[in-house]
Amino acid sequence: MAALTIENLKKSYGSVKVLKGIDLDIEDGGFLVLVGPSGCGKSTLLNTIAGLEEISGGDIKIGGVSVDGLHPSKRDIAMVFQSYALYPNMTVAKNISFGMEIRGLPKSEIMATINEVAALLQIEDLLGRKPSQLSGGQRQRVAMGRALVRDPQVFLFDEPLSNLDAKLRVDMRTEIKRLHQRLKTTIVYVTHDQIEALTLATKIAVLKDGCLQQAGTPDEIYNNPANMFVASFMGSPSMNLMRAKVSEEAGQFTIEITSGAATALTLPVNGIADLQAYVGKSVMFGIRPEALTDPDGSDKKHGAEIVTRAAVIEVVEPAGSDTFAVARLGGIEAVARLRADAEVEAGQTSSLAFNMTKAVFFDPETELRIR
Amino acid sequence: MKDRLQNWLPRLVVAPSFLLVLLFVYGFILYTAYLSMTNSRMLPSSEWVGFANYTKLFKLRSWDTALKNLAIFGILYIVICSALGLFLAILLDQKIRAEGVIRPIYLYPMALSFIVTGTAWKWFLDPGIGIENTMHAWGWESFHFDWIKNRSFAIYTVVMAAVWQSSGFVMAMFLAGLRGVDNEIIKAAQIDGASGFRIYRRIIIPLMRPVFLSAFVVLAHLAIKAYDLVIALTGGGPGRATELPATFMYSYTFTRNQMGIGASSAIIMLIMIFSIIIPYVYSETKNGENR
Amino acid sequence: MSGVSQDNAVTGNRLTRALIYTVLIFFVIYYLLPLYVMVVNSLKPLDEIRGGNLMALPQNWSLQPWRDAWSAAQIGVEPTGLKPYFANSFKIVVPAVILSTIVGALNGYVLTKCRFRGANVVFALLLLSCFIPFQIVLIPAARILGLLGIAGTIKGLILIHFVYGIGFSTLFFRNYYAAFPTELIGAAQIDGATFFQIFTRILLPNSGPIIVVTVIWQFTNQWNDFLFGASFSGFDSTPMTVALNNLVNSSTGVKEYNVHFAGAILAALPTLFVYVVSGRYFVRGLMAGAVKG
Repeated sequence: MAALTIENLKKSYGSVKVLKGIDLDIEDGGFLVLVGPSGCGKSTLLNTIAGLEEISGGDIKIGGVSVDGLHPSKRDIAMVFQSYALYPNMTVAKNISFGMEIRGLPKSEIMATINEVAALLQIEDLLGRKPSQLSGGQRQRVAMGRALVRDPQVFLFDEPLSNLDAKLRVDMRTEIKRLHQRLKTTIVYVTHDQIEALTLATKIAVLKDGCLQQAGTPDEIYNNPANMFVASFMGSPSMNLMRAKVSEEAGQFTIEITSGAATALTLPVNGIADLQAYVGKSVMFGIRPEALTDPDGSDKKHGAEIVTRAAVIEVVEPAGSDTFAVARLGGIEAVARLRADAEVEAGQTSSLAFNMTKAVFFDPETELRIR
Repeated sequence: MKDRLQNWLPRLVVAPSFLLVLLFVYGFILYTAYLSMTNSRMLPSSEWVGFANYTKLFKLRSWDTALKNLAIFGILYIVICSALGLFLAILLDQKIRAEGVIRPIYLYPMALSFIVTGTAWKWFLDPGIGIENTMHAWGWESFHFDWIKNRSFAIYTVVMAAVWQSSGFVMAMFLAGLRGVDNEIIKAAQIDGASGFRIYRRIIIPLMRPVFLSAFVVLAHLAIKAYDLVIALTGGGPGRATELPATFMYSYTFTRNQMGIGASSAIIMLIMIFSIIIPYVYSETKNGENR
Repeated sequence: MSGVSQDNAVTGNRLTRALIYTVLIFFVIYYLLPLYVMVVNSLKPLDEIRGGNLMALPQNWSLQPWRDAWSAAQIGVEPTGLKPYFANSFKIVVPAVILSTIVGALNGYVLTKCRFRGANVVFALLLLSCFIPFQIVLIPAARILGLLGIAGTIKGLILIHFVYGIGFSTLFFRNYYAAFPTELIGAAQIDGATFFQIFTRILLPNSGPIIVVTVIWQFTNQWNDFLFGASFSGFDSTPMTVALNNLVNSSTGVKEYNVHFAGAILAALPTLFVYVVSGRYFVRGLMAGAVKG
């Protein structure tokens, strides 16, 4: 059974439409990540699930039951806020127990639950402190503790890691994932960080301008993007997108990348049947940096589909484990991901290996995927 | 059911304030506006006279005096307070070690009632016992200062006392404004080789336009409402020489029993204040929404 | 060479700094002088003022003027001194301050955290009410107080000060709560807190500074009020400022300047005390009322 179902959800502030009919669900125990650039409506979507904002149309069901008009406290959810939203006048213990106290639970039960959660999150020695005396990471834990004691059907996380520094963010990410594996409670998680989305989710929903662009597993989203937006938003460095001309000769498609006076670059394409309709026209050719490598570092599993071409390297950016190179392909800039010890130098011409099994194509007008 | 009540609670909570203010402010304004169109004298009357009170009002010598005095008082008060406030703020902004002692001294008059200020200055300026007498006692026999008793100059003594009371506050506003200026802008100007004086004139003061505007609005508002200070300092005299619209309204309504004319003068005061405040509040709240 | 110019710069600097301090000290004297005159002359016998010098220290120190001002001076028709009026002011101001602060806090909460249709209109009307010249409400207010049967009473003045204090209190709390994280309200809602629980358990415990600012602002304004006191007070509800003015400007009898000065200081003491004790908040209130209003 789906833990959360969202049907044709609409939200507008006056004449401004923030959510334009979202359909989405997540199975019980799943980890749904809502991702998108700022202003895409992902936080609004989360707030409507929590009941902090009213919806303008459609329906939200938690555990199969519509929660429309239900007070946030009665939706069987718990939320971790971006700013943590810890009550500044209360100690950590009070922050965690406030909800239980409001619900009138007996003192002994409250104490037992606090201790249990504190042990789980390793914040036992912080219970007597005020939020202002905690570090960012500690506040984060307390905020999660406050959500955990509710033992809800669905956890809601609103960019919970965005206020932490880079190292702590990675640690907490792992911790959240471990917590999810242990508790197996459904989570809906908002972030603008596509790495967080890929690492945590069992299902990712990519939003843009209040519209759902694609929903699917991290693998689907990354390797089978439905449109150009998803392709360029997910992945870092982002996917190279180049305008290319399609031609056909004896059933073999070829694309030609060219810009201005630069020498054209041609590549063979296999297995994309719908390209037939684009013969003689332009498409957008997309290839991720890791599918554009130095020949020695290419993915040998796909030997037959590795195509090697010469390209001028403009900038070399060593990044420790890899080296990124900005190259000119038929006059268009593209990023290649080389092995750290690949011998390339700015200004020189090197061979680059194209893994064409990973290549994707989009219609330049509709920006939709050509399969 | 309970949720429905929760939805209505916010409205229920502001409703009493809203209704009280609607009645006591806006209802009363309408009632005063209505009275200003009747021939009410000692008691409100319902006899409609249209704009007759306003025509009468603007023919009255004492209203004329009140308006002229308001112009003199208002302009001098605003200009001197702003200039002095800015000047003192700039001086205090020079990393003055005793700032913590000086600033509260400049500002304390603002905590006093205008009645107290008026009383202090009334005797301080009194030629019989005040500053003139003191100068004579110190041997400056020819010193002469009787403005407070002089019809042509008495209004300037009101300015003196009012400036004494409010300029420290204007100083505090400007000081806060100066402290709010981005330090990096000043550093950039210093690197460009600008001198201290120039940095103030060309960079900092232009950046403080909002403070000038706020100071102007606050001071103008205080000037138009000024009542207590005149009552305590000069009682509106000598004769009617320091009459202001606020004192005019009071005496016509409550001692001369010309309620219709008093009401019309109050309406004129309201129009003066609102013509300053409404554009200001409008622009402020608009900015607030953009923030 | 550079050493010399360095020296010149320093001496030039020293000269300007000396000048700055001179000017600053001059204005310290300017602002303190009236207070000095009041204090010094409130401690002199009357003939020393009339025959002598306002600036001079007393030759015969005397507390008699203070005693007279407090309990013996003729105010109106009775030689009661300012004592009963001092008490009146407290009886009026304390309830009015408490009421307008509580109501302002609730309004600020609702107007920022529970937006409803028309909230902006309500706020605009409350805000504008801060700036009306009170002359405009004098006549109808006198009638309403009469109709309610509380004309000339302490209750009537409490009502007036409360009502005309709502605007500023609301403004203060609204601006403060506008910066208060809305996520905290959301968290409390999810925790199941009701409308009033959110107010008393979450907002109020975090409103210390703005409560102080509002109380100081309202106290100072209401204590220093003259217009309402002069218009609506009766025989046994006259506030301090009105009594002081009656004392100073009474046309009968000898002008007892020393008693006037003592009385003026008495009238100023409560607000001066508040200012000295919490000057920071006092300034903040003035700024909030001025700059943001």
